[in-house]
Amino acid sequence: MGAIGSGKTTLIAKLVEKLKNKMGVAVFNGDATTSNDADAIAKQNVPVVQIATINGCHLDANLVGKGLSKIDIGKVKLLFIENIGNLICPAEFPLGSKARVVVVSVTEGPWMVRKHPHMFLGAQIVVINKIDLAGAMGVSVDALTSDVHKLKPDIKVIPTSCKTGAGVDEVAEALIAV
Amino acid sequence: MHEFSIAASLVEKLSEFGRENPDKKIHEIRLAIGELSHVEHEQLRFCYDSITKETPLEGSILKIDKTEALVECPHCSYRGRPKYWDDILAGAPVVTFQCPACGKTVGETQGKECEIKSIKFSQNEPILN
Repeated sequence: MGAIGSGKTTLIAKLVEKLKNKMGVAVFNGDATTSNDADAIAKQNVPVVQIATINGCHLDANLVGKGLSKIDIGKVKLLFIENIGNLICPAEFPLGSKARVVVVSVTEGPWMVRKHPHMFLGAQIVVINKIDLAGAMGVSVDALTSDVHKLKPDIKVIPTSCKTGAGVDEVAEALIAV
Repeated sequence: MHEFSIAASLVEKLSEFGRENPDKKIHEIRLAIGELSHVEHEQLRFCYDSITKETPLEGSILKIDKTEALVECPHCSYRGRPKYWDDILAGAPVVTFQCPACGKTVGETQGKECEIKSIKFSQNEPILN
């Protein structure tokens, strides 16, 4: 889960690249209109399902259930479900996932966490992405991390840059450990 | 955000009751909605009134009680109201999952519900020929 442009698809693509030779990986991409994200992941030759919500602002368990019928789930050990870029509604609709990850990027400004607390209360992992741009943005990764921990002290916060690759291994390890 | 579909399901449930009990007229419905759910009371009432217009439920009153959030700490013995993050957030009080006693992470035990608590109805007057 995360805002539009926070880097959800790029992060998933990086994680798929790292994990696909170790275990069965599949990806569901929720998007209101385009198949851009699914097309980007499909280049990696893993099962991808594009879930178009059209007017819907979030995925729900029913849509995920339909997606499951399109892949051979027996071969999948790790399924990524990318929700719609929306920070309110997805929090309210559990998808049956084992872990919830929120991706926040420093380019969204310093107040993302306190403006959308519900999203974080239900998450186990928070990724703070685009840290290579933190200086240019004048946004403190430490302050964002501290906001997350004020809401829920045991959330694992991992700063990443999908551009430089920093932190991506740690996200992969955290997902496997859930 | 999703009040219309909640109101529609509620009306569906009440219509079911109406079909099974054609001799009863519904006057009041009381809901309990948890503090941790994202349901807006005003919007829900507006949707309910809109959907029930020109139906047997028109004029019935939707009452909504807020169920307080309660948390339990697996690290210490704390059970009770959550800690709020309201020192800097002027807009609305925000529930946190930080234990008010020991500062570790708590789990919620109450506050996510959205349920029908009671329905008030009367017996219709028998039709006399």
